[in-house]
Amino acid sequence: MSCGNPHEMECSEMLQKVFVFLDSECDETSRARIVQHLDECGPCLQMFGIEREVKALIHRKCGGDPAPSGLRDRIRLRLRTVRIEDGYLEQTTVVQDTVRWDLEA
Amino acid sequence: MTEETSAPAETPEQRDARFERDALPFLDTLYPAALRMTRNPADAEDLVQETFVKAYAAFHQFTEGTNLKAWLYRILTNTFINTYRKKQRQPQQNSSDQIEDWQLYAAEQHTSSGLRSAEIEALDHLPDSDVKAALQELPEDFRLAGYVADVEGFAYKEIAEIMGTPIGTVMSRLHRGRRGLQRLLADYAKERGFVRAGAGEDQS
Repeated sequence: MSCGNPHEMECSEMLQKVFVFLDSECDETSRARIVQHLDECGPCLQMFGIEREVKALIHRKCGGDPAPSGLRDRIRLRLRTVRIEDGYLEQTTVVQDTVRWDLEA
Repeated sequence: MTEETSAPAETPEQRDARFERDALPFLDTLYPAALRMTRNPADAEDLVQETFVKAYAAFHQFTEGTNLKAWLYRILTNTFINTYRKKQRQPQQNSSDQIEDWQLYAAEQHTSSGLRSAEIEALDHLPDSDVKAALQELPEDFRLAGYVADVEGFAYKEIAEIMGTPIGTVMSRLHRGRRGLQRLLADYAKERGFVRAGAGEDQS
């Protein structure tokens, strides 16, 4: 696979590194080589654009579901119960985290 | 003469207040993540509750000033994997089957995903529910990695801590997950008629 033009970095290497670059996880040397490759290679630039847009799409559309109303209060109530059990267990000195969690489950 | 001891120990009341102030607001962050993991609201609610109970019980171990969101995510992920997933009686997806399928398509091409630039705009018209459904179709590990990377923007190192895997595994999951996701998104776009059938196969 190649766009037919010679590059210092092969297109196949670009394809491998696209996500590291996209996620801003590559070192400065790699970054410079990738930027140079993208300047030179139209098909890779296009491919990179697609990857970037899909990442942005997931970011925009896959989070943000509101927690059900009342869930926060149900959690508070649950924590209060844990506190009471905690106190009880500490008084009776039968304390182990796993025990506490098992009781909860 | 100075005391060697550090700050006075936190009272349980102070710790409760700190949990309420610092940890509980992450409910709105963790719930959608739990929903993507469990794929249904009732299970997501249970998972989030369980996560906060565990976080509360372990809160004295959390070092203030470190990344609380990542810490909570780690508990959420562990809870899902260790306890919760076992309760879900749905057939376990076999990751490896699907990986092989995707690898066939991930031929060394510029456009290995089935998507072309011109089709990217079409994806924007997909309803949120389609994009969520596509993500949820991914095998679990890929779905989780993709969610924390792309929705939450965690760094690889943080994702590795959250998922309890080496960074190389995170990278591989992200890579494969994204390739698979693009194919799924292309399928959704075709089903909706936003992209003509066969698009992506005739690219120059």
